Amino acid sequence: MGRVASTGRRIHRLLIANRGEIAARVIRTCGRLGIESVLAASDADLESLPARLADRVVRLGPADAARSYLDPAAVVRAARAVEADAVHPGYGFLSENPSLARACAAAGIVFIGPTPESLEAVGDKLTARSHAVAAGLPVVPGGEAADLAGAQAVAAEVGYPLLVKAVGGGGGRGMKLVAGPGDLARTLDLAVSEAAAAFGDPRVYLERFVSSGRHVELQILGDGSRAVALGDRDCSVQRRYQKLFEEAPAPLLSDALRAEMTAAALALAGHLRYRGLGTVELLVDRARGTFYFLEMNARIQVEHPVTEMVTGLDLVAEQIAVAEGLPLRIRQEDVVLTGHAVECRINAEDWTTGFRPSPGRIDRVVLPVGEGLRVDTHVQGGSDVPPHYDSLLAKLIVHGTDRDDAVARARAALDLLRIEGVATTVPVHQALLADPEFAAGGVDTTFFERFLDQQLVGAR
Amino acid sequence: MSAVDLTPDDVRDVLRVLDSSGLAELHLELADLTLTVRREGAAGWTAEQQVTRAPHVEQAAAAAVAVEAPAPVAEVGEGLVAVHPPLLGTFYRAPQPGAPPFVDVGDQVDTETVVGIVETMKMMTPVHAGVRGTVVEFRLGNGEFAAADAVLLVVEPVGGGAGG
Amino acid sequence: MADVGLVDVSLRDGNQSLWGATGLRTAHIAQVAPLMERVGFRALDYSSSTAMGVAVRTHREDPWERLRLTRAAMPTTKLQFIGTGFRFISWQNSHPETMQLVYDRLVVNGIDRVVVLDPMHDMDAARETARRLKQAGVDEVIGALTFTISVVHDDAFYADLAGQFAADPNFDRVYVKDPAGILSAERARTLLPAIVARLQGTPLELHSHATIGLSPMTYSIAPELGVEVVQVGSGALGNGSSLPEARRTVANLRAMGHRVDIDDRALGMVCDFFDGLAVAEELPVGRPQDFDAAFLHHQIAGGVMTTTRRQLSEIGMEHRFDALVEEVGVVRAEMGHPIMVTPFPQMVVSQALFNVIGERYANVPDQVIRYVLGSFGRPTAPIDPTVKDRILDRPRARELASEPPPPPPAELRKRFRRGISDEELLLRAHMPEDQVDAMLAAAPAPRHFNPSLAPVLTLLHELGSRTSVHDLAVTTPGLRMSVRRASGGTSVG
Repeated sequence: MGRVASTGRRIHRLLIANRGEIAARVIRTCGRLGIESVLAASDADLESLPARLADRVVRLGPADAARSYLDPAAVVRAARAVEADAVHPGYGFLSENPSLARACAAAGIVFIGPTPESLEAVGDKLTARSHAVAAGLPVVPGGEAADLAGAQAVAAEVGYPLLVKAVGGGGGRGMKLVAGPGDLARTLDLAVSEAAAAFGDPRVYLERFVSSGRHVELQILGDGSRAVALGDRDCSVQRRYQKLFEEAPAPLLSDALRAEMTAAALALAGHLRYRGLGTVELLVDRARGTFYFLEMNARIQVEHPVTEMVTGLDLVAEQIAVAEGLPLRIRQEDVVLTGHAVECRINAEDWTTGFRPSPGRIDRVVLPVGEGLRVDTHVQGGSDVPPHYDSLLAKLIVHGTDRDDAVARARAALDLLRIEGVATTVPVHQALLADPEFAAGGVDTTFFERFLDQQLVGAR
Repeated sequence: MSAVDLTPDDVRDVLRVLDSSGLAELHLELADLTLTVRREGAAGWTAEQQVTRAPHVEQAAAAAVAVEAPAPVAEVGEGLVAVHPPLLGTFYRAPQPGAPPFVDVGDQVDTETVVGIVETMKMMTPVHAGVRGTVVEFRLGNGEFAAADAVLLVVEPVGGGAGG
Repeated sequence: MADVGLVDVSLRDGNQSLWGATGLRTAHIAQVAPLMERVGFRALDYSSSTAMGVAVRTHREDPWERLRLTRAAMPTTKLQFIGTGFRFISWQNSHPETMQLVYDRLVVNGIDRVVVLDPMHDMDAARETARRLKQAGVDEVIGALTFTISVVHDDAFYADLAGQFAADPNFDRVYVKDPAGILSAERARTLLPAIVARLQGTPLELHSHATIGLSPMTYSIAPELGVEVVQVGSGALGNGSSLPEARRTVANLRAMGHRVDIDDRALGMVCDFFDGLAVAEELPVGRPQDFDAAFLHHQIAGGVMTTTRRQLSEIGMEHRFDALVEEVGVVRAEMGHPIMVTPFPQMVVSQALFNVIGERYANVPDQVIRYVLGSFGRPTAPIDPTVKDRILDRPRARELASEPPPPPPAELRKRFRRGISDEELLLRAHMPEDQVDAMLAAAPAPRHFNPSLAPVLTLLHELGSRTSVHDLAVTTPGLRMSVRRASGGTSVG
């Protein structure tokens, strides 16, 4: 194993076009690698902790995301103003936006992420389904619904209940449940107009509603020619399709099933000639021992730290290397998973009032420290949690020798974690980790709502 | 490696020393960061980190407007002439402090008349009127900084008509 | 106006020259490697037998693991190993097949550039070593022209060797190695063009220690004389008896009108890291050196001379110091003008010392006998025949001459437990058993090091050791710290 040649360009200055904990995360890897970090921040984030960590900060635009974090022209302008070699789009915002990827390419700036073609291939949920099918992956029975007649035809095959999903959606957004044929027409109309408004694309498709499934996802890293699978994660603990808790590896899966899912993810990555970090999301039918392709996320994910803890890899560094045109040096046989890791997403929300967002000023942040403990956050005492963006405050990530050990350490760590000044979801996680059904492992996507119902006697 | 931000590895190094020394609490203040590490009984250790370094903020270029450039606004009124500095620097109206100014409003000037001095990194350069006429207005005062395209003073040329 | 490349020697030659080869540990190297990767150095002078031995013996760290970690963090920078080709870690020669195994394992673990260093310029041996290196898959093989000042080592001497390196397909590049730092700019103006003229396009690098302040100037004119790459040390690991300092060298080269395409900010971070490390570990910092005319003559490192003067005064013979310096010159000539690079300075000085204290060549250390027997290679000029006979005419010489040849790998494997890796075998075959055992038993080396935090940790240790005091506070420039002791095991928080 000797020196390799880069087919791309060395990155010396990186513009981080994002905010919050992922901005801090990328900045930390930049510091370790000797890359100059320039944070592109909106007016609401100019004094944030990431702004203090970055080597430089450039103003991106007003607090309104549409004119800052969601504006490709503003991002490219900022990158050019500081002569950045590359842009890291984080997750959310423009991270899977082919326009930003193309605008960067046109400006001679490296986009840390997949090619625009890959972004388009998997960003459109219908196209993603067809690629998955072409790569031999099983998909949830379903099809496009161009109009009511088309929808009825698909529904006849798929059966009820079913989900109406926005083609341009993803990340748990843009999905509606249809209980029976009587609700189809009305739900379809609603879904189409909402999709147009939220995603700029009115197309919808129908999928059989799998009532009991586990959300298991595979982490992929590709360099355009080769790809490796870096283990799986279980993200079944969700409220309204938003993840609260993730773990790696996914518990209670047979070796055979795990191997099949890994092969499927690699097949899709190979079929796409995928470059960069990507996550193949699968819905696992535990009882039948089968799985379906749900979607592929062409970006770094919120829950990437659990994979880092069990593999020992720095995924942001791997993203950057691949973006520089360096060939993948990790071979599949080099990927060794050690122990078990869990992540609790701590949000600025009041769970006693329906998880209402709780923006405001943080008075104090006290974090647990020790072996196997890691907290990724963007807040410290005095930080403002602005109302314009999402509510994620911190991620508590805990590694243990096995799942029981990781969960026990996480419980102890939560008891020491204090973020004061806003309401947080720490109590939810404390209750979750104490729950016997959760502790047994392998819960499905319906678990959390049931768990919440038990916790909050009465209205949610 | 800086001490703007301590990694979990760094904090664990600190913990190890505290623990092996029988210490229960550390409060540390460095130039860009403060840190408090505390043992919480048998439950474990906590850390409170505060990055105090001020952000180093710069402006991005203003948005390019996709319309044709607006017609340039005239520097001076119609028929008048602007006098620019020969190079940028600090504009002085008199040869030295306390001395009377070279010219005042209403004075007649010729092309070679010295109307001021520009000082650039200790070098003095005279400013010539460059036109025959009457001084109408001073746009910069004594000791003010003049950019290369600044208008120092305005002259009404002899015979009126368009200026340069 | 030339494009000049940089090779950084901090991790090997810098560490060896300034920090006794023991200053750096795996944690330091793992932390700085990604920063060094970003600079755009053509290569790092990364390791040697000495460096690998120190890792095991002094730090109980696995040098092979350290190499793998480094390669993982540095995908596009060449990593260099330097060696004579005869030995691995121990003073005794190894079997050629053992050396082939050493090269094979170095390549597998990440080395892609090797310097063939024979200060006596035995070209037959060098060519054989280069052939074996290519067989092992080494990307870049460098022939070394070791510079010294003597009647024998004139421009024509080096030009001829350069021509021989250029003619051999197994050598990719050549460098002028000046371990004493005595190559003046004046001499370089004739020497370097003479070498380049015979290189027929083979790239030339320059490696000249900053010991007496000459090399910074030599480096400044080197590109116009045909040198493509200069070798430097970064921050605290540059200057002194190491190589010229990197940032100053880059500034000088640019001032001379040349292009140095590196990431200056990353280089600054690398230099800051070594500067911080030196402070944290209380290691000496390389400084620009005064010209020392006497050194041009005897070329013995200051440290060796100091030690020798002390040895003389211990036996009440300090007044013979000047005679000793003169005897060093005589012994050197009798030994065939070995170039004063380790181990020869120590060897020549030891013999000169014995010769001054007692009868000439009455006492001869093993090392000198081995040298005369040819274990270190063929001397550049012949050994004085009378002296040679004198040295070899003793029982110890006959003993050493009839030592069995070193065993090949197959033989070596029989001496140790079955199934150990080649890497472990190579260590066990060349180092004392207890040292290798201790290294393998030690916990894996940490992979992070924060120079800013190290002084804090030291201070904490210090405060922590004051067990009778409950609360303590310390204020130093840039730092305020207070600690509280646990009161009899009860919680404080």
